Amino acid sequence: MKQVKVLLLMLAVLASCNSHSKKSDGNKKIAIIVSTLNNPWFVFLAETAAKKAKALGYDSKIFDSQNNTALEADHFENVISSEYNAILFNPTDATGSIANVTKAINADIPVFCMDREINSADGATSQILSDNYSGSIEIGKYFVEMLNKKGTYVELLGIVSDNNTWNRSKGFHSIVDNYKGLKMVAQQSADFDRNKALEVMESILQVHPDIDGVFCGNDAMAMGAYQALLSAGKADKVKVFGFDGAQDVIKSIKQGKIVATGMQFPKIIAETAATYADEYFKGKRDFPKKKPIAVELVNKENIDKYTGYGKKQ
Amino acid sequence: MLKKVIKYSLGIIVICFVAYNAVYIKKLNEVKVTENKLFDAKAYAHNYLYKKLPVALNNTIQIDKLLAHIRTNAANAFKTYSHGQNIGDVGYFLVGGQGQIVNIDDNDVLVKSDNGLVIKLAIQYIFGNAVRDAPGLISMNEFNNTMDMNNISGEINKIIKNEIVPPFIVKAKKGDKVAYKGCIELNQSALKLQNIEVIPVFLKIEN
Repeated sequence: MKQVKVLLLMLAVLASCNSHSKKSDGNKKIAIIVSTLNNPWFVFLAETAAKKAKALGYDSKIFDSQNNTALEADHFENVISSEYNAILFNPTDATGSIANVTKAINADIPVFCMDREINSADGATSQILSDNYSGSIEIGKYFVEMLNKKGTYVELLGIVSDNNTWNRSKGFHSIVDNYKGLKMVAQQSADFDRNKALEVMESILQVHPDIDGVFCGNDAMAMGAYQALLSAGKADKVKVFGFDGAQDVIKSIKQGKIVATGMQFPKIIAETAATYADEYFKGKRDFPKKKPIAVELVNKENIDKYTGYGKKQ
Repeated sequence: MLKKVIKYSLGIIVICFVAYNAVYIKKLNEVKVTENKLFDAKAYAHNYLYKKLPVALNNTIQIDKLLAHIRTNAANAFKTYSHGQNIGDVGYFLVGGQGQIVNIDDNDVLVKSDNGLVIKLAIQYIFGNAVRDAPGLISMNEFNNTMDMNNISGEINKIIKNEIVPPFIVKAKKGDKVAYKGCIELNQSALKLQNIEVIPVFLKIEN
């Protein structure tokens, strides 16, 4: 009787191993971990990646890190233990997220970064990024032109630990700082957040009520800044510039509320990441470590070519 | 009573100690200064401009020949002669040319070639990634982050403005014949082939 029990136990173990291997061989699963879903741009990025993954025949699930590296680490733990086959990743912190990526890579799960980079050339399988610096150079040139090379302005920065924040700021300043007539009176972080930008802008306006321009590190902050200016009765006088190419800012450029933005192409970024995952599953391994996507200036002159998050088809 | 005072004092000290060590406040400019301090963009740019780039300058295309090629087959011209780090429509070209100075102002030197082509040599506002990317010598994969690469562009542009342009500007005058080599940026989906601006990396008066 004892021998029969042992035999049955062995059979049960074998059966479980078999079902496990079947799970691995079934539909591959892609985890899409994004920094925040509190910003429409990232919602579009995540949903586009999920849509592309589905079109390529894979299951996917979106995880929201809520701009919290601890929560992001939890997502990675879950994704690794749930045996996902690839991660499309939008990091919360250029340095703080490296450990999470390394953990996944060590578990043989490829990681494809989207839009935001990690400070490691060989940490992720590949990083598909917007060329923020070049995009901000274009915005900087247009900013100088629109302000006629003189006046005072405010800069709203994104999350300070994110490389995109500084690439955008540095690109912009590489142009604007050459013009002595342009003076920055305040530079503050609003964490890429619309509500925070509204609050920060309201405070700045109390100290500097006569500014001529605002450069914002993303479109959500541009909308927040615009709202603050509108409440202060200064929306017609102050020129607001954003960065992203979000739907509401494209609409606002058409209406003359926002002057310009830098169009990133989240559709291209997300679809490239999902396609890279597909190619990885099929055996490809030689991916570019970093692949920048060009950013284009969108203003009232060329607005008809663009729609939210990209070019008109 | 004394015991209570000691107890509360200790409690306050512990709370202050924990609160003080729980929050770190840094100035934004301090964050900027400490970032990427390991990478010396200035030294990299200097080495690039004075050691690597001169070799690549033997392979420039004459600007009038390039523009003729673009007018007949832009896609092929971009594929053949441009470099860039991006997926996108912007391409950077390493070009050369000769001509006569027809105007000098604070921002540009206008040069007209024998066949009538007029280009602007930038001498004041030297921006962007053209010189870094046009020769195709630098790969993004060499760097831990894109900020390092972007800092190289900034340093290259500073060296051009401070070291390459001034000795030329001191001597240059209207009517002089010049030879130049430099980099241009063109957008394939929004081509502007008039008054092209060249960021110079080599300038010589040939009177």
